[in-house]
Amino acid sequence: MSTPLFVRSVSLKVRLTLALSLAFLLIFLDHRLGAMQPVRLFLNSIVSPVQYLAVVPEQALDSLISQLQSRRALIIENESLREDMLALRGQMQRYEFLMLENERLRRLLASEAREDRLRMVAEVIAVDSDPFSHQVVVNKGTRHGVFIGQPVIDAQGVIGQVTSVGVSTARVILISDQSHAIPTRAAESGIRVIAQGVGDTSMLELMHVPHSTELRVGDMLLTSGLGGVFPEGYPVARIQSIVRDESLPFARVRAVPVANLDRIRMLLLLWDADSYEQPIRPEQEAEPL
Amino acid sequence: MTSRLMVQRVVIFSTVLLSLIFAVMPMTLTLAAWRPEWPLLAMIYWIIALPHRVNIGYAFLVGLAVDILLGSTLGFHAAAYALVCYPAARHYPRIRNFSLSQQALLVVLLVFLARAVVFVLEHYLNNAPFMLHYFWPAISSALFWPWVFLIFRKIRRRFQMT
Repeated sequence: MSTPLFVRSVSLKVRLTLALSLAFLLIFLDHRLGAMQPVRLFLNSIVSPVQYLAVVPEQALDSLISQLQSRRALIIENESLREDMLALRGQMQRYEFLMLENERLRRLLASEAREDRLRMVAEVIAVDSDPFSHQVVVNKGTRHGVFIGQPVIDAQGVIGQVTSVGVSTARVILISDQSHAIPTRAAESGIRVIAQGVGDTSMLELMHVPHSTELRVGDMLLTSGLGGVFPEGYPVARIQSIVRDESLPFARVRAVPVANLDRIRMLLLLWDADSYEQPIRPEQEAEPL
Repeated sequence: MTSRLMVQRVVIFSTVLLSLIFAVMPMTLTLAAWRPEWPLLAMIYWIIALPHRVNIGYAFLVGLAVDILLGSTLGFHAAAYALVCYPAARHYPRIRNFSLSQQALLVVLLVFLARAVVFVLEHYLNNAPFMLHYFWPAISSALFWPWVFLIFRKIRRRFQMT
């Protein structure tokens, strides 16, 4: 019959012991030594078809909806987009003027000019269903020049950074992940604080803030550029509450991320213009910001 | 005979692949909290149906795939799946004779155990806070078990897999 001869050649207990010891070896290698990073590139590339297949129904539904959209709704949307565009164009003129002025002033002060950044639009293709890690997978990988530690933003503010890359996918850890912290600076007072994720997409905690801090509720926190991962000046979060409990060594300061971390779809990957890593794209998708 | 073996492997592999796709399919957050543990359900079915084809090693590999897909530390889900599939592989003749509701109760236990293993590992190694809703899928998995069982049995009989 079709049942093989050596069906119970290895006892279940041996198999279990083998599997568990292999699993613990993997945990040790990955968690304690971080030795699995190069293997992850390969593993991520193997499973990326699963991730691409998983979004097919959603994409089909989206395209169906956009096909069924009425002419009227399209005209209305078009009009509002045109208005937005006009407003943004107006602001852009001002921005260009300020940028030139800033450059001139910097030259006067003999400080080095700021480099333009390169960016590329990426689409989220998977959100982790694992509540212990706030990560998303995007549809760009080493093929597009994505690298580990790359900063990721969206239209509103900082999203996170790339933690692992596959050939055509990359995994982005969000700033709200409990293992992520980001160096920030308050926009007005210039106080430097580190904003740590707590595993809640609508909440960051500021670490080691003294009770005598000048931070106020409503202060905007921008990336400070320290640490070398995130470029300076992108909005991160807004302070929501400050609890000064004298029995604790530090004040408890909470901030709400500016970006809607729980409903991100389109992201921007950033590159330094003069760094070793550069976006790879035959089309002109990566353009100076 | 070899071609039949091939067909069996392909069928098992595709159902497992489908369960993995379901595990990462994007959903709204409220629904995603109730997402059944599809890969584990598939593993439990195949282990009690074809224990000589699918075993702890298979469960280990599927758990590893889940680890890669979810981005958790490699080995967390692999350990949990291997551990949970041990009782299923050990007592498969008895479980086969359970009624569907009895099996569903067992599924609650097994999924809860798997999640507990992952949570304990996450808690001690990555400082994960306790979240009650992490264990809700144990209930939803059990609710979906009868359908999974019947559909998988239909597939198994259709391809005459024994």
